[in-house]
Amino acid sequence: MDIIRARDLTVGYGRTEVLRDLAFTVPEGRITVVLGVSGSGKSTLLKTLAGLLPPLGGEYDFAGSRVDYRSEASLRFLYGKIGVLYQGGALLNGLSLFENVALPIRMQHPKMPEDMVRDMVYASLAQVELAGSAEKYPAELSGGMTKRGGLARALVLDPDVVFCDEPSSGLDPITSALLDDLLLRLKETFKMTLVVVTHELRSIERVADSVLVVNDGGLRFSGDYADLAAADDKFIRTFFLRKDSHDNA
Amino acid sequence: MSDTVLLPKRLRAPEVVALLDGICRSAEAGPLTLDFRDVEEFDSSTLALLNYVRGRLANVVTVNIGGALARAEESFVRRPPTEETKGPPSGSLPSRVLTAIADRFIFQAKSLGRFLAMLGDEVYHVGVYLKERKGVYPGETWNQMFFMGYRSFPIVCLLIFLVGVTISITSAEQLRHFGADIYLADLVGLAMLKELVPLMTGVILAGKVGAAITAELASMTVLEEVDALRTMGVVPEKFLMVPRLLAITLVVPLLVAMADVVGIFGGIVVARVTFGTPPAAFIREMMTSVKWTDFGWGLLKAVVFGWAVVVGSGFKGLTVGRSAEEVGRATTESVVLSITLIILIDCIFAFLLY
Ligand SMILES: Nc1ncnc2c1ncn2[C@@H]1O[C@H](COP(=O)(O)OP(=O)(O)O)[C@@H](O)[C@H]1O
Ligand SMILES: [Mg+2]
Repeated sequence: MDIIRARDLTVGYGRTEVLRDLAFTVPEGRITVVLGVSGSGKSTLLKTLAGLLPPLGGEYDFAGSRVDYRSEASLRFLYGKIGVLYQGGALLNGLSLFENVALPIRMQHPKMPEDMVRDMVYASLAQVELAGSAEKYPAELSGGMTKRGGLARALVLDPDVVFCDEPSSGLDPITSALLDDLLLRLKETFKMTLVVVTHELRSIERVADSVLVVNDGGLRFSGDYADLAAADDKFIRTFFLRKDSHDNA
Repeated sequence: MSDTVLLPKRLRAPEVVALLDGICRSAEAGPLTLDFRDVEEFDSSTLALLNYVRGRLANVVTVNIGGALARAEESFVRRPPTEETKGPPSGSLPSRVLTAIADRFIFQAKSLGRFLAMLGDEVYHVGVYLKERKGVYPGETWNQMFFMGYRSFPIVCLLIFLVGVTISITSAEQLRHFGADIYLADLVGLAMLKELVPLMTGVILAGKVGAAITAELASMTVLEEVDALRTMGVVPEKFLMVPRLLAITLVVPLLVAMADVVGIFGGIVVARVTFGTPPAAFIREMMTSVKWTDFGWGLLKAVVFGWAVVVGSGFKGLTVGRSAEEVGRATTESVVLSITLIILIDCIFAFLLY
């Protein structure tokens, strides 16, 4: 089953089209990696898929129903099923890490007893190995910790689909490997669908089941990771060239 | 037959500068060949020189080049941008100016529409919140009240006192001519309660509270925190704005009551010093012309100003662009917007009341 289907999707801002006529699907329960050079529109695409940015054209189905960006009910349905890790973590500065992760629970289930909230928050923080920093404020966290905190917040309500915008950029190899493990664990244990923007060759190799390549205002490839190498596209070839020199080094 | 200049082995910035004049002069005199083949030590100024003679002096200078310098030139010399650069916009000047004005006008009209839509939404959100008590962080209204009060109480008191003193002194001079000393009380009382206190409070709120709201919400927008709220299923326009609107509604009456007292106190001080009017007489006289409804209207006006400030600055904060520098610009614009709104609303009240 494909949980996300896009047909002729054009994304962008106002009159600027960033990516045109995208047609792709995202398989359920797998990790889909979005590849593309910086500025090619990966974040823009993610924002559209997450219901934040109305597309300039085309159709987007999520879990079998059309996403209507003008209908509150349709967006609420979408938001209820997704978690998003933003490029900078996007933790609220005025709240401690604990309160940040607790926020979605408090807002969606205002009546939930405090003990349960605590358990859920700590379970989520433990997954990203941040349980010890729960009482810290975002200003006291490093960049990597902020991102992991953002991931904990995205996961706390067990979403069906998690969108991650460059989860491991700017992280050291150890933390970044930890994140890859976590993504794989989420897929295997909770059957989550993950859509991950990343440049890290190592993590693409480890986690990618399927791939979307965007470049030059359009989709250059969409399909299984295994088929990527055979794709006849200049950008993809350059990408693999870089990978080869990487491996030899 | 052209002259040939053999360039030295070492050709860095100092040598380039030293040689440049000579090269230019020889090039003016006639065709010239520059032989770069011996050059081994070079830097970016050497490449700049190459670029210069190949471009500007191309028709008189021939360049011989080889070795490392040739490779460096190949990979480093800036080539003209390949993408076609945008030419000047088409159309005659008057039509361009008209288009620009029309664009701006449309943009402003759209912004106004969005602002009014947001105002309507906020009224709706506050109403729904008061009924359902959902969608807002618990205790946030109290936090906001504390911040707003803490930020504005001292400055409101100080400035209103000074305004009270100032208008009293100015009017006292005139009243003395007519021997109408005692009417200073009525004048100050009415001016303060109906006009100056609400207006000054509004303006101070615009500068202290409104600017802070815009700065905070704009940086949240830029850092994607507002997006994060939305995908959490939280409505930012409610989550962020309702506590601030409730807080301002509760804080402004306290501020106004305080400011009324302080402003009139300023008048009392001046009356006492210039005319020797006893405070009790001042207050008794004031009570004969100032009615409770005057106080009420002043209060209502100030609350409406407070709403204008919060909605205006919230609007500026949530509609900011995406770069950090726009946060600063939005903050400045928010203060201007708030003050404009306050004066517009004041004008409307004036028409309604008199
Ligand atoms: N809010 C915005 N308004 C207008 N243009 C934008 C906005 N955000 C990004 N862009 C433009 O859209 C393009 C794609 O940006 P983005 O999706 O952030 O790229 P990526 O995430 O792949 O690095 C860029 O050219 C960028 O300048
Ligand atoms: Mg990006």
